[in-house]
Amino acid sequence: MPKNKVQAPLTPAVLHILLALSTGERHGYGIMKQVEADSQEKVKMGPGTLYGSIRRMIEAGLIRESDKRVDPEMDDERRIYYGLTGVGRRALEAELQRYRGVVAVAEGRLAHGR
Amino acid sequence: MAANVPGRYQRWYAALLRLYPRPFRERFCEGMAQTFHDLCREHRDTGRGLFGFALWIFCETFVGIVQENTTHMPQLGKTILRVALGALAVLMVPLVASRFVEDWHWPVGAFVRVYVLFFITGMVFSLIARRMGAWSYKAGVGVALFAGFALAWSTMVQTADSGHPERLWYLSVLVVGFIGACLARLRPAGMAVALFAMAAVLALISVVLPSGAPSDVAFRMAIGHGVFVGLFTASGLLFRHASLAGLR
Repeated sequence: MPKNKVQAPLTPAVLHILLALSTGERHGYGIMKQVEADSQEKVKMGPGTLYGSIRRMIEAGLIRESDKRVDPEMDDERRIYYGLTGVGRRALEAELQRYRGVVAVAEGRLAHGR
Repeated sequence: MAANVPGRYQRWYAALLRLYPRPFRERFCEGMAQTFHDLCREHRDTGRGLFGFALWIFCETFVGIVQENTTHMPQLGKTILRVALGALAVLMVPLVASRFVEDWHWPVGAFVRVYVLFFITGMVFSLIARRMGAWSYKAGVGVALFAGFALAWSTMVQTADSGHPERLWYLSVLVVGFIGACLARLRPAGMAVALFAMAAVLALISVVLPSGAPSDVAFRMAIGHGVFVGLFTASGLLFRHASLAGLR
């Protein structure tokens, strides 16, 4: 993946998926549920958005497809899991750093305006 | 019966997933079907209705299908899709208006013909306008196509209403434009000449061809002709501007 793309701001869907995968591998439904939990149910992704983003993220090297296995908390169906790559983790960290910078500027402005 | 509903939705969803491009389908659609199954089960277990939820998922997935199909589509394919959807949006105007305006009873075939006209006009604009980046060239193409479309439309309607086939002579203006555009090979300087020629031919026909209409109708027709001559002239001026800009 080109370096400048890693540093470019991520779309909300990509950021949420990276965040959901930051604690471990998950399957599609698991990612959706984690995104809902992370965003206090403010972000609801459908399969079209989720898998379209997954396809682009795999191509960009941000995530990788893992093996197919059964989720012990669900039924006995085998599911494909997705996990973060090193590039994906660095992209997430860079994005969070960018957010911190924006928040710092915003807080400074608001404090100055008071 | 109700127990079969999720199964039916899943079959429909599986059918919808076939619309994805093959590489995407082979790689992700099994996971998507599983995810949809999981979501349906979650909704059913919490006692929530499935219809609205399934409708949202189907629409959301359809948007994804369009995006995935256009991602790998060549530029021409994207242009065709864009124009086809744009023509459909424009067709909604007469389609909705015909519901509210009395005495507007187009048969289905008329809407199809209008759609084809919109589509062809849109395609011609897209294919010609992308030849040059200059705004004046694009605007010239747009004005010329709009005026040509309106002239063809009004000529057909008036000929059908009045029963005067000699009014089809107005279509010769479009023939002049087509030949001019071919000779000019769509270059702005030549297009300017072609458009000025169209304006001149239209002015000549409107003077020479007797309208045979009552004076008040003839007056309105003369105003209409003046507007068309103005539009073709304006288009010619825009092409001339594009030609001069290209020389600088």
